[in-house]
Amino acid sequence: MEVSRIKPTRIRTKYMRALAGAITLVLLIGVSFYFYTNEQQRKLDSELSELKLKTDTILSLSDTLYDFVFRARGYYVFQSNTDLEQLKLDLKEFDVRLQEFSSLKLTSEDRTASEDLRAFYNDYTTNLLPKAIGYAEAKDFDALRELLESGANQIVYDFMDYTSNFKENSDNRLNQVIDDSIKQSNQFTIIAILFSMVILLLLGGLFWRLLRSLITPILELEAATKSLAAGQEVPITLTNRSDELGRLNDSFIEMTHSIQIKEEELMMQNEELQAQQEELQAQQAQLQHSLTEIESIMKALDQSSAVAILNEHGVFTYTNERLTAFTQFKSSALLGKPYKIIKIRDSSLKALKELEERVAKGGVWNIEMELERQDGSAIWFDLTVVPYLNEHGEVYKYILIGNDITSNKAIQKELAESLQQTEKTMDILKNHNLLNHEITYTLNKQDLVEKFNHFINELHSFDSSLFMIVRETIYSSRGIPQEVIERYVNHSSNDMLDRLAQEKTYIVQRKASNAELGISTLSVDCYDLYTAVTDTKDNVVALFCATRIGRVYEEEEIEAIQGLMKRVSLAVERIEMVEDIEMAHKLNQDIVNNVNEGIQFVDSNGTMTNNNQALSEIIMCKEWGEGKGIPIDQWIHDISDQCSSAPELEEFFRMALSQECEESSSTQYSIGNDTKRYIDVYATPVVRRGARIGTLFVHRNITKEHELDVMKSELVSTVSHELRTPLSSVLGFTELLLSKPLKPERQKKYLETIHKEALRLTNLINDFLDLQRMESGKQSYDIETFALNRIAMEVIDQYKVGTKRNVLLIDEAKFVDVDVDKMRIVQVFTNLISNGIKFSHEDGDVKVRMYNVQDKIVVRIEDKGLGIAKEQIDILFQKFRRVDNSTSRKVGGTGLGLAICKEIIEKHHGRIGIESVEGEGTSAWFELPLRSPKNAPEDDIGVLIDGDNENIQNVMIVEDDSSLSLLLSEELKAKGFRVTHHYNAQKAFEEALTVRFVGIVVDIMLGDELDGWDLIRMLKNDVRTEKVPIVISSALDKSDENLQEFSINKYLTKPYPPGELSKVFIEIINITEPSGDILFPDNIEDEG
Amino acid sequence: MRKLLIVDDEEILRMLISDTLEDLDVHIELAEDGKVALDKLQQSEYDLMILDYMMPQLTGMEVLERLPVDLKKRMPILMLTAKAQEADRMKALEAGASYFIPKPFSPLELLQVVEEILVDGGE
Repeated sequence: MEVSRIKPTRIRTKYMRALAGAITLVLLIGVSFYFYTNEQQRKLDSELSELKLKTDTILSLSDTLYDFVFRARGYYVFQSNTDLEQLKLDLKEFDVRLQEFSSLKLTSEDRTASEDLRAFYNDYTTNLLPKAIGYAEAKDFDALRELLESGANQIVYDFMDYTSNFKENSDNRLNQVIDDSIKQSNQFTIIAILFSMVILLLLGGLFWRLLRSLITPILELEAATKSLAAGQEVPITLTNRSDELGRLNDSFIEMTHSIQIKEEELMMQNEELQAQQEELQAQQAQLQHSLTEIESIMKALDQSSAVAILNEHGVFTYTNERLTAFTQFKSSALLGKPYKIIKIRDSSLKALKELEERVAKGGVWNIEMELERQDGSAIWFDLTVVPYLNEHGEVYKYILIGNDITSNKAIQKELAESLQQTEKTMDILKNHNLLNHEITYTLNKQDLVEKFNHFINELHSFDSSLFMIVRETIYSSRGIPQEVIERYVNHSSNDMLDRLAQEKTYIVQRKASNAELGISTLSVDCYDLYTAVTDTKDNVVALFCATRIGRVYEEEEIEAIQGLMKRVSLAVERIEMVEDIEMAHKLNQDIVNNVNEGIQFVDSNGTMTNNNQALSEIIMCKEWGEGKGIPIDQWIHDISDQCSSAPELEEFFRMALSQECEESSSTQYSIGNDTKRYIDVYATPVVRRGARIGTLFVHRNITKEHELDVMKSELVSTVSHELRTPLSSVLGFTELLLSKPLKPERQKKYLETIHKEALRLTNLINDFLDLQRMESGKQSYDIETFALNRIAMEVIDQYKVGTKRNVLLIDEAKFVDVDVDKMRIVQVFTNLISNGIKFSHEDGDVKVRMYNVQDKIVVRIEDKGLGIAKEQIDILFQKFRRVDNSTSRKVGGTGLGLAICKEIIEKHHGRIGIESVEGEGTSAWFELPLRSPKNAPEDDIGVLIDGDNENIQNVMIVEDDSSLSLLLSEELKAKGFRVTHHYNAQKAFEEALTVRFVGIVVDIMLGDELDGWDLIRMLKNDVRTEKVPIVISSALDKSDENLQEFSINKYLTKPYPPGELSKVFIEIINITEPSGDILFPDNIEDEG
Repeated sequence: MRKLLIVDDEEILRMLISDTLEDLDVHIELAEDGKVALDKLQQSEYDLMILDYMMPQLTGMEVLERLPVDLKKRMPILMLTAKAQEADRMKALEAGASYFIPKPFSPLELLQVVEEILVDGGE
């Protein structure tokens, strides 16, 4: 109903407004109408007046005109001056009138007439009249007549007509105007009437609407009210009206609603009330019934119990016979007296107090009280007090009901006593049980003794006590000094134990010691209890000693304690058993865990109950712990999850577990994703006393064997392949040779190929057999002491001839003696050097370096060849592995070489390896232990440093004779030089250019195209090398022309011990200013 | 002029095979490994390929697998190998080889087989 709030007095305002509007309208219209009619009237009036004026004017004009015309005429006739004067006056008047006329509103006709008239006048006055007068005076009447008839008078006549016309017109006009005026006023009247009618209609309509809008809802409301009054449905709805009636409507509706609701409520209440009333009636009936019951109960009560009624002050107002019987107070003695008259025994005073309190508050209370009868004897009374409260909550009556319970009480007391007794016994039992419980759950002996001691102290209370398990001297004590305990611990107490064993229990009575007396001044006796538990062999298992100061031990106590001791000994035995079992179990577990194979035990349900460490390592399953039972599906799943052949494995397990399977079975599987392990699993049923209790699975890791197998079969296939290839070519070419005639060159080529391949085959087989022999350890090595550099030189010697390559030895190893099988080492050298040659460029050098590192000698064979990729270095030492490079395919070889070298070196307790940078070169090295490293050279640091010492001075020996050069090199190495052996002059020279040599030993007799002289020449001719001192090692032929070429100093005489040469050499070298001396040993005979 | 492609990593065997077949009216090309062979096959058509099984890097089987199927249909392939088991033969045949000669082989036998193949005009 918000709308109504916005415009609360809408009806009124509405109609006010309407009314105001109407009135305004009416006024407006009326006023305008009025003005209009006024206007019209005015207009008409003015027109009328104008017309009148005009008419008058015209009339007067005409009159005047007539006047003067006739006067003129008169004059003409009579020629009276007065007439002339009057004529002039008339003319003047005419003039005036004419002016008046012309100043009026004129129509065009009028104007014309006026102008004509004026013209006429003018003409008349100026022209005609004077003329006429003239004529008249002249008595020229003819001329006068002519003049008058000339038409001058026409105007007059015209005007006369005009005037009469005008008059007519004017009259008509006047009439018309009057008619119009009347008509108009009639019209206006009609309009006014119509208008008023319209207004009236409007007003009527408004009024009607008003009425309607007022009446209809009112009627509705009336109807609604009527029906509401009649109690029927109210046919009214909410309206959208927002005005007073609307609000009235809405309020009415609300009212009806609320009335309806209230009616409903009232009805409900009415119903409720009715229901309640019915209830009440029922209750009343019940009450009645109860009342009758109560009455009967009361009667019964009265007969059985003591009943008394007190008033609010606690004064007896009623007592019954039973009360008298109980208390011996007659009712007469009680009535009117307060209840306190009956005395309460002391024991019940408190109860009484409580009772009074409770009851005062209005609560029903029941207590047992001891009362005094009239004769003073006591009875026990069960008393119930019921206070009655009035409507204000105050007590106005007390009902007392009581019963004699004296005999009951006595019985109660007896029962209580026996209950106490029982409880005591129960306690004891409970204690025993408690002890049992405590010690049953103890697996720890120390714990046990503590608990027991504690327990027994709690139970029996001793002043000091000791409980000990004898065999292991585990004990618990209270209040006993350590040295006393020691007596027992140290087994010096065997006597005591003996006595205990015999007597089991005994008590010693003695005087208390000072410590025990404490603050007491009197002396007191102490009682020491000793009791022991023995095993079947009468050995003391445990003992208990306790002291009581001044208190005796009762028989019962002693028995109780003994009972407890027995219990404890049982517990101790149990613990020991458990310990034994655990030990055994642990031992088992340790054994099982230390085994290499994985072991699992599966019970008859398939649950895995035991598994060992090794198995966890194989299966790698985190969830398997020790001692957990793992259900069958889980463990099978755990294993087969990691296996490749899961279904077969699972099948195997289930078969092995089944009851039908009575024999062992085995299978193999592979497990693991990253690293495959091969396992052989063996299953066997476990039977105990004829019944199958489970199955045992043993998993053995056969990965290594498997790998070996794999390797072996790989090897076999590789070998067979390697063999087949040369074989194919041998067979093939042979067949070709046999099949058809061929050209001799072709034949030769084929035969060469066959030969080569056959050789290859042979080498392959030899190498392979060698390797196999070496690997299986059946190879015997013939170990002797050799100088490694000598061996190296021997091998290098082979390369002097034939090959374009240069193999040189760069030696700085001071210690070269090794214990080796020479042939094998030669094999190693050959292999490595030939590899170097194979894999290097056509004219590349192969350098063999030797140097000492600590107590070893290291040999490096370097080439500047193709180099080897890093990934391939690792596999080089494997059998048949060749560097997988298309260009190197051409170089042939068996692929076993390095494997053999490795085998040999390692069997000599050395190491071997390869370093390479792809594209730059390779360096194959091996090291061997020196023969009993002699006097660790502290004075010669050079040995301990790694071979590639920059500070070592380089000496070159260019010598054909390897034994000599070796000799020399020994000497030089001993002095700490690095010796490079060359045998080719050209190469030697080239090296001299790149490496700084402090001295060069040259043998003239070099087997090559260039001899020593050529080398010397080359050296001297080059500014880089001319200063290098040279020593010639061979004897010179004096006749040699080269002697002239160079200034050569003889310095040595042959024969000379090589040591001399080296000494000289060294001296030369050590000269600070090397001057490039050339020295040579001269023959003695020259020494003149 | 028929064109033959001989693929074997052993130079000697290449020589042997080509010498064996030289009397035939064929043009022989050699390839020393699988890769070279594949390159050559892409560049020109051959009437027969003699293919070794065991080669470094790309084995004969791998070469077979990398050949387009239609090429295998129209070019007969003869496999030479030391592996002569039934299973290996089957594998090779399935992969597209048409003939199979184990090593060591008799050149005369090879010659005969090649002649037959060429007469057939490649199936």
